[in-house]
Parts: sequence; structure tokens; C-alpha cells
Amino acid sequence: MVTLRKMVLNLFGLALICTLLVLSGCKGGGQSKTLYIFNWTYYTPDSVIQKFEQEYGVKVVYDTFASNEEMFAKLKAGGANYDITFPSGDYVSIMIKEGMLEKIDKSKLKNFANIDPAVLAQCDFDPGNQYSVPYYLGAAGVAVDKTKVQSYDRSWSIFARKELANRMIMLDDMREVMGDALKYLGYSVNTTDQRQIDAARDLINNAWKPNLLKFDAEAFAKSFAAGEVWVAQGYAESIFAEVDKSKWNTVDFFIPKEGGPSYLDSMVILKGSKNKELALKFIDFIHRPEIYAEFCDYFGFPSTANIPARALKKGESWYRPEDLLNCELKKDVGADLEKYNAAWQAIRVGK
Amino acid sequence: MRKQVGLLYTLPQILWLVVFFAAPLCIIVMYSFLKKGLYGGVELQFSLEAYTAMANPNIVLVTWRTLKISIIATVLTLLIALPCGYSIARSKNQAIRLFLVIVPFWTNFLVRIYAWIAIMGNEGFLNDILRALRLTTESVQFLYNQAAVILVLVYMYLPYAILPLFSTIDKFDFTLLDAARDLGATRFQSYVRVLLPNIKGGLVTAGLFTFVPIFGAYAVPLLIGGKDSYMLGNIIADQLTKTRNWPLASSISMTVTVLTTGLVFLIAMRKPREQKQVFDADPAFLQVAPDGKR
Amino acid sequence: MLRKGGVAARKFMPPGSSLSNVIYWAVIGFLFLPLFVLVFYSFNAGRQTTWQGFSFVWYQKLVMESPELWRAFTNSIVIAFGSALMSTAIGTLAAVGTARYSFKLKNFVSTMSFVPMILPEIVVGVSLLIFFAGVGLRLGLLTVWIAHTTFNLPFVYLLVSARLEESDPSIVEAAQDLGANEVQILFRIILPMAMPGILSAFLTAVTLSLEDFVITFFVTGPGGTTLPLYIYSMIRFGVSPVINALSAVMVAGTVLLVYPMRNFLKVFAAR
Repeated sequence: MVTLRKMVLNLFGLALICTLLVLSGCKGGGQSKTLYIFNWTYYTPDSVIQKFEQEYGVKVVYDTFASNEEMFAKLKAGGANYDITFPSGDYVSIMIKEGMLEKIDKSKLKNFANIDPAVLAQCDFDPGNQYSVPYYLGAAGVAVDKTKVQSYDRSWSIFARKELANRMIMLDDMREVMGDALKYLGYSVNTTDQRQIDAARDLINNAWKPNLLKFDAEAFAKSFAAGEVWVAQGYAESIFAEVDKSKWNTVDFFIPKEGGPSYLDSMVILKGSKNKELALKFIDFIHRPEIYAEFCDYFGFPSTANIPARALKKGESWYRPEDLLNCELKKDVGADLEKYNAAWQAIRVGK
Repeated sequence: MRKQVGLLYTLPQILWLVVFFAAPLCIIVMYSFLKKGLYGGVELQFSLEAYTAMANPNIVLVTWRTLKISIIATVLTLLIALPCGYSIARSKNQAIRLFLVIVPFWTNFLVRIYAWIAIMGNEGFLNDILRALRLTTESVQFLYNQAAVILVLVYMYLPYAILPLFSTIDKFDFTLLDAARDLGATRFQSYVRVLLPNIKGGLVTAGLFTFVPIFGAYAVPLLIGGKDSYMLGNIIADQLTKTRNWPLASSISMTVTVLTTGLVFLIAMRKPREQKQVFDADPAFLQVAPDGKR
Repeated sequence: MLRKGGVAARKFMPPGSSLSNVIYWAVIGFLFLPLFVLVFYSFNAGRQTTWQGFSFVWYQKLVMESPELWRAFTNSIVIAFGSALMSTAIGTLAAVGTARYSFKLKNFVSTMSFVPMILPEIVVGVSLLIFFAGVGLRLGLLTVWIAHTTFNLPFVYLLVSARLEESDPSIVEAAQDLGANEVQILFRIILPMAMPGILSAFLTAVTLSLEDFVITFFVTGPGGTTLPLYIYSMIRFGVSPVINALSAVMVAGTVLLVYPMRNFLKVFAAR
């Protein structure tokens, strides 16, 4: 019986230690040199993070999100927990309005000069880049498994093909999918015209949705890689991260000719960050040409934001910067977002 | 003096639950009557918008769908769990038979969901077998529809139904069945007329333990369901994390809460005897989990 | 705790109908099928689900190359034991209080302890998230710990209460007659008597905490990733089938852990 009692004591002792760990972990967090990054899945290579950790002797905690909405909701609910996050343009302006961002001291960013002025010119969500530094300009496109689908038009109309029913997937992302339909109909991705939004909703509901397996912003790439679906709307980097390298030549990734919503993701420092200096160092680190080239090569991106990195890039890109010509940056539509919400609800929830 | 001692013992629990359970619920109630903030959060202004928004045909549709899926899954679960509980109760190796039911239940539930994806996927286990047997050439679409959601929900909550059913059936005096047969009842009649009325309490408990969590399901419809499988739990999460309509998330949460707790209390309060059974069966069933026998 | 009479009486009765036995074994097959499939695929050399030969590669990756997974695992263990301890402490005290004394709020306490259990997880998660946002508490391990302690409490309270109800009140009365004070009664008599209940409550709390996904999903923050959250991200994205190997290890682990624990408790309960 002595041993039994000992076991019980040990069990409770372990539990006590755990409780202390929880409590101490929360208190001690402020002092240590840890950079908390909240980023999209597949958006910064582990190798880049590790280089940063080694060079500055710090620890990076890296958590991920799958959509702007998810990131924003978490930050809004939990206060400023993270040091750096990567919102798209429309969310940069929302977060500025909501007072969630710290101003960025550009004098400390010696690599800011590497950023393409053409990209900076597009930052009308944050004129003069007071709060944000461009990370990457790109767009979602369509991946097609060429072994299963031989002939197709490089257009959003591929989602209307009935013979591919249940073999296609689109993102569970309101602005992306609505934007695709709006562009296909020849409207702006930022329209606030109710009739245009309704037309896009009807197009998705009547022509595209019946052929889709599901809407999924998280597992679309995995489903594509597993052969569950043959056509996937989504991000190139996610698709090629999941598909085995030996099968890359069977995948065609394109930005449809009509264009779609493009995104300009920026690095921002959140209000209440305890590591502002370190966060600035991280932002500057990303725009070192060799690091930016490493990032682009890892994901097969064209070097859209950083000019010197273009010469250092070794690998191929999944699409060219010219492919983005017909695309249009997503902007915050303010209270008119309600119109999009209603349309999207009808798509997601309705029959 | 003695009364105060009793209160003193319970004080930490009361405080904890008031702060971390009751207060959050009150905030939800409050939020559901406020106006939504443009970028999430709320504005301090009374509004019934969140409740009128629930009359939206889309939300009515999802409520109906959630109810339908929950009822079908619960009924199926009970139909399967009843003979199982009976079989365990009448077995000589109750402990081992219970243990077998519990082991899968102890495996992380996301792992089990993932397993079903691996089984039912287009390139999954089942389709591999079908192709190997030359029954199909193209993959059969098992996943991403309501039937798949119901199947996995039944799988997830079967143990929740089997355990309380077993513990009630185990208390049943089986000689009554023989007596009924002696009096000329068929085997089937003896089950329906004698066994079922005596284990009503267990059936109710099992039903509640299946229905309530299924009604609030989130992960299964998200991972297993397709474009037609959204349930109320998904809508709540979407309103909070995507559409940024906190009052609507709150009002739907309130509706779910009132519906489920209302159901439990309605059943529990109807007859004192049944109430005792509902509330009692619970710890008994839980104790099965850690030590494998009641 | 089988009734002895029941076991004796059963010998004279016909065995359970064969149909119910058939259904029972079919259900066991149904319950175990996914676990077998996972174990099977964990030895697959290929990435996708199609069989490409036997291999231990995913186990190797699991042990050697998955630091984030192990960090999540550590978080889960810390949270599970931490929240189980807190909820067992608070819940046991409350159970002792309501079992031994009658006071005005007694019914209120019992009912209130019951309600969190019947509330859908999503509602608990959402309300806690909004609450933490309201009071400005930073999301992270601490909020996960609070949430887990909260949903564990009712289970602990009910399990310990059930055990206390079974115990003989005359022992406590005898001790009081012999002049034992409140503290002595609590530590020398009531707690040892309730120990099997307390232990099984503690283990139930550990299990519930290790298992939880939905509530944790809402209340977690930086550095607060638990194993279920990590598994979720592996299901949704992430290239590697390490998840198969992890699942197989978890299945084996539960079986290996649960069985001796069951015997341990049996010995303990019989004491």
C-alpha cells in the first residue's frame, strides 16, 4: 500500500509542477527574447526562420491562420498577442482604423530600398507605408491535374463544367471566390453595386457550386495532392507544397485570363508588441535580397516585391508577374461588406 | 456554523463557475441584444437585430438541417447501442466487453475523424478495396455529404449511448422476461412490453448524451461534410471568425443553449423518478471509463 | 461493483440472445476498423493513402524530425495535469461540502455544476473567447488551462459526489464522537474514503483535457498549441503522413496505459 500511496503522491506532484509551469510560463513570457509571429500557412520557410533565430540568438514562435478573417477575429478577441502578422491590404486598412497597429520606423529598415516602387505605389491602403511593409504580391489561381483533365480553357469557366462535378474545390474565402465571379462577369472585385454582387452570387450558386466537392480554405491543397479533386482554386505555394515533387509536371497552375482578386500581404507590428525592435529586425531580415530569394524559391513565387532578389532567384516560378495584370487588389469595402456577407451566406449555407 | 462550513467547502467551485462559466454566458446573452460593430465586437446600443437575423431563410435552413441530422444520428445510435448494451449486460465477461467499447473511445477524436477520411476518401482504403475487387473503376464518393457526417457522428457517440444503456439494463431483473414468455408472450413482445419500459431512464440518458453534443457539432461537419452539411456549430464559428457578427454568433449560441438545456431539464423534471435516473446514470457511466467496470 | 446476486442469478438464465451478440461484435468491428486502418497506413512507404510498400520512415520522422509536435505534446500534458489538479481540488471540496452539509445554496450548486456538462462545446468555447476578449486576458496557455479546468469541474464534482454517497456516514459520526476536529475528519477519513472517486475523477479530467479540440481551438493563443490542435493542422495541411504513425502510437499507448490503470484502480478500490 505504501507504493500505491507513493504513486498517488507522485501523480499529484506531477500535476502541481504542471500547474506551476502554466502559471510561470505566462508571467515569464514578457522578459524573454521570443518573437511571436502569426502568419499564413506556407508563407515563410522554416529555413528562413531558423537563420533568423541563429543570427539574432532568439526564439521564434510561429502560429498560423488560413484566412484574413480568421487572423483578424483572433487578434480582435485576444488582444495584441503577437508581434508580427501578415494581413492583406484590405485588412491593413481595417487594422489601422481599429488602432491595432504600431507605426513602423522605416529609418531602421535599411532594406526597405529593395522594395519595388511599383508595389509601394499600390499601397493605397496605407499611404506612405507608415504601418506596413509589403511582403508579397500575388494571387490565387487554379491548379489542374493534367492526367485527369486534358483539355480546358484557362478561365474561371472551368468550374461550370458539369462532367467534373465533385472533382473540383474552391476556397472557403468570401472575398476570393466572390472576386473570381465578379471578375468573370467583368465587374470590379471591390464593387458595392448590389446587382453586381447578386449576379456573382447567382453565378456561383447556379453554375459553379453544383460541381464543387466543397469549399475549403485549409485542406484544398491536401485534397488536390491526394487525388480527391482534379481542379482546385487556391494558392500555388500550398498546392506545390503538398504535391510530391515527382508529380509536379502533371500539375498546371494558372491565373485565369479574366484575372481575379490579387492580394498584397504586408508585414505589420501589432500594438502592444513587447519586441518592437526585434520585429523590425525580422522585417528588415526578410527583405535582404538573398533571404527574399530563398523565400521565393522555396514557394515557387516570382519575386514581386523585392527587386535585387530577382537576380538571385534560382528556381522557376509557378506564375509570372505579368499574369497578375488583369488582377485587382482587394480593398476594404467598409459597411458594404454586409452585402458580401449576405451573398456568401446564401452560397455557403443555402441549398 | 455547520451551514457556513458547507458553503465554505463549495465556495471555490461556486466562484470558479460564476467567473468562468456564468459570467461568459451572461456576456453572450448581453451581446446578443447589442448592435454589431463594423469590424467585429459590438456597439453599446440595444438591438434585436441578432434575433431578427435568425429568421433569415438560410439560418432557418441550417437549424432544420442540424435538427434533422441530430435526430437521425441519435435514433441510429440508440438502435445500435440498445442490443449492444443488452449483450454486454448478459455476458459473463462484462468487464472485457466494456473495455472493448471504451478503447476506441480513448483515442483522440480528431485521430478517429482522420481515420474515417483515410477510409472513405476517393483514394482511400475503401475505394482501394473496391478497385482491387474490380467492383468500380472510378472512385466512389463516400465523403463530403450528409450521410458521411451522420455515419461518423454515430461512430463518435456510440460509446456515450452504450455505457448508460448497459448500466440500466444491468440492473434489470431478467427473470421478468422469462415470466413474460411463460405467460405466452413472444420473445419480441417480451422485449418491447417488459424490457423497454423498465429501461426508459437509460434510453433517455443515452439519447441526451448523444443528441446534445451532436446538436452542437462543429468538427465533424467541417471535416467530413461537404457543401450541404453546414450545421449550427459551423455557423456560430463563422459568424465569430469570418463574418465578424458577434451578436449573431451570440444569439445562435443562446438558441442552441436554450434548446439543449431546456430539453434536458424538461425531461429531467417531468417525473422525480426519471429525473433521478437521468442525473444518476451519469457518474455511473463515467466511472466505467477510467476503471473499465462499474 | 457488480451486484453479487446478479452474477449468481445469471447462471440459471439463458445467455443473451444471439442477435444482440452478433450486433455487439459487429459494433466492436466498426469501432476498431478506423484504428486498424491507421496502424496499417502508418507502415506505408508512400505519402498518399495508396500502398507503396512497408516502411518505418514515418515513425522515424515522428521521433526525430517533429519538434513542433513534441512541443504541442508537452503543452497538452502540462495542461491536462494542471487543469486536472485544479478541477480535482475545487470539485472534491465542493462535493464534500454538498455531501456532508445542507445549506441554502446546495441545490443551486448541484444544478450549476451540472449545466456546463450539457452545454454544447462550441457554446462554451465561444462564450469563453468573448469573455477573455472582454476582460482583456491574453490568449495562451493560461486561458487554455482556465477553460479546461472549467469543463472538467462538473465531471469531478459528479464522480466524487457519487463516491461520497456510497460511503458510510456512521464512520464520520464515530470520529466526531471520539473528538476529531473538522480538519482531521477531512484528511483522515473523508478524503481517504473518497480516494477511488477522486482518482478516477482526476484521470477522467486528464483524459477530457487531452481529448478536447473545440473549446481549445477558440481560447488558444501564441504558444498555446495543444496536441489535438496540432493534429487538426496536420489533417488540414502539412505534407507528411507522420500523423499515421502518431495515431498508431496513440492507439497503442492508450491500450497499454488503460489496461494496467484499470487493474491499478481495481486494487486501489478494493483496499
